[in-house]
Amino acid sequence: MTMELPVTSPSRGGHVRDGGPGFGLSKLADWSREKSLWPATFGLACCAIEMMAASAANYDIARFGSEVFRASPRQADLMIVSGRVSQKMAPVLREIYDQMPEPKWVIAMGDCASCGGVFNNYALIQGVDKIVPVDVYIPGCPPRPESLIDGILKLKTEIGKGLR
Amino acid sequence: MVLETHRIRNTLHINMGPQHPSTHGVLRVELELDGEVVVSCKPIIGYLHTGIEKTFETMGYLQGLTLTDRMDYLNPMGNNLAYCLSIEKLFECEIPERAIVGRVLLAELTRINSHLVFVGTAGLDLGASSVFLYCLREREKLQDLFEWLSGQRMMTSHIRPGGLASDFEPEWLTACDAFLDEMPKRIDEYESLLTNNPLFKERMIGIGVLSAEDAIAYGVTGPMLRACGVAQDLRKTNPYLGYETYDFDAIVADGGDCYARYKVRVAELRETVKIAKQALKRLPGGPVKTSNRKVMPPPREELGTSMEAVIHHFKLFTEGIRPPAGEAYVPIESPRGELGFYIVSDGSGKPVRVHERAPTFANVQALPLMAEGGLVADLIAVIASIDPVMGEVDR
Amino acid sequence: MTVAPERLQASFPNAHHGVSADGIPYVLVRPENIAETARAARDELGYVRWVDLTAVDEPDVEPRFELQYLLYSMAERRWLRLKTQTDDKVPSVTGVFPGANWYEREVFDLFGVEFEGHPDLTRIMMPDDWQGHPLRRDYPIGGEAVDFTVTREILGTGGGNELRG
Repeated sequence: MTMELPVTSPSRGGHVRDGGPGFGLSKLADWSREKSLWPATFGLACCAIEMMAASAANYDIARFGSEVFRASPRQADLMIVSGRVSQKMAPVLREIYDQMPEPKWVIAMGDCASCGGVFNNYALIQGVDKIVPVDVYIPGCPPRPESLIDGILKLKTEIGKGLR
Repeated sequence: MVLETHRIRNTLHINMGPQHPSTHGVLRVELELDGEVVVSCKPIIGYLHTGIEKTFETMGYLQGLTLTDRMDYLNPMGNNLAYCLSIEKLFECEIPERAIVGRVLLAELTRINSHLVFVGTAGLDLGASSVFLYCLREREKLQDLFEWLSGQRMMTSHIRPGGLASDFEPEWLTACDAFLDEMPKRIDEYESLLTNNPLFKERMIGIGVLSAEDAIAYGVTGPMLRACGVAQDLRKTNPYLGYETYDFDAIVADGGDCYARYKVRVAELRETVKIAKQALKRLPGGPVKTSNRKVMPPPREELGTSMEAVIHHFKLFTEGIRPPAGEAYVPIESPRGELGFYIVSDGSGKPVRVHERAPTFANVQALPLMAEGGLVADLIAVIASIDPVMGEVDR
Repeated sequence: MTVAPERLQASFPNAHHGVSADGIPYVLVRPENIAETARAARDELGYVRWVDLTAVDEPDVEPRFELQYLLYSMAERRWLRLKTQTDDKVPSVTGVFPGANWYEREVFDLFGVEFEGHPDLTRIMMPDDWQGHPLRRDYPIGGEAVDFTVTREILGTGGGNELRG
């Protein structure tokens, strides 16, 4: 009975984030996490509209496993930061992120979440990676729903390989 | 002996938002609840403050145009239009007829887009999730049209100072016509799901009543004001872009409750399709860019032959457009109300001040009047019926 | 938007009058008179609908802030602009137009103009503990320097994250 304790990448501080289920079931756990990745509702601004379009019938991320957007962060494993993060919103975002149980992932959707976007000014956090560790950055203003799906699929591939 | 029972009222202070599935963005509401009854409700905004108004002052007018899309992000071309109207007022420049009619067409298509989101999210917030998928199906067709026209699904920045960014293709006009032809049937579909649905009516009729006097004193405009019985539609009272020549009704309802606001917006959807069809039919030929060389650059063919054209081109692309000094505010009727840009220019290439009069800022301010005394579940219906877009509230 | 300046001149004889480039007439009054001017505009002249309040900052001019109030008359279908100029404070018009509440909070937050008599003059856009008033012209735009190689060479910065002025 081996408990694998993966050490995470340096971009996350290298600390151990997840103990793994033991009995060599890590691969099964990774597979199941990849196949049912449930996002938390974190639509902030215009990118949220394209995220809504991605979850609607035309693009439909439910067929990739993201069946529901959970309102409670405690029931979600993916936070898609879609929109600009203002100074007032930053502590709220960090609190929501902290409430999500491990393993959790973050997608920075759009230019504003990735790097501040068109708004290089006092009011916005210049990129959400200043306050939470980001796994996938999706450029665009707003990115097409297909870009979002591409980003989610890339993340899922990495999760399947054991990204935590 | 009379036994007096004193009821100690324990109220619960609870916070709703800013991350919440039903607050239509990052709106935070501080609630004081007595059981399920909302005793006091205080909306707190600022969670999407982007400093756009200050960013305008650091860039030219044409660059600033791209910021306007991102304010009311459900009505991007409406924002473009309001911004351009204020700039053109400072210039007093003539806009070609094809551009004027084209702007009406694009503004109305954007209004359809916005009201579709309202119908969809109003249903979704109350639990009717299918209508959301139907509305977004139509939105996808419209966004395909916008992408065909301008290259961008949402933030098109297609309405520029001096006209439009580019002309319409004949095939695009045919596709647009086909879309507008099938819309009335689709609107019937949404209505069949919601309008006479007993659950929907139970949750919307008599809920969130706003009186006309309060609405006017608070600066509420748009469908919210028209649902209180006040016939105030800027396209009728202070027409721009030749709206007085189009045949349409300004929809007014009575009651001032959520259901009236829903009915106003759905009826407006139908009227908007009518206006768009009229605009499409009467689209004249000609250029879509003004010939005023201080506003729009000359066509590329001229650059080979005319020195003056080269100089105009050079000045416009190095210094940007320079509206004469002054202040201008030309509001439009956006899907949410009176939307206008107050622009102060000092004659240089960068504005002194650009301020957006955002309709939702005043509409959300009136939330306590509608929600206090009602139930918590009704608060969701009220917020949905305001149709808020936090991007323009916080700017 | 037609203009009726004669009536405005008669109602506000001690104010400055003019018309802006958009055809909206304006009335420039002293700060202490703004509330009664708003009341007169609403009750006597029929400008009942509250529209907007904002400020323009010109740091080189005394006084530095010019406040622009916008009202609308439903009967006559036209706007009226009220202006007043101040360096620091102005009476609140929330007693006349309850809709001015959040607008005055916004001007206070972003420009630093205080409104006397406002029921709850707190910040509305910026966090409650923010220092400074961002929309003033002498407040830097903020943000971070774009990390181009040439920026590193010229400015000696590296890796971004420096505030720009």
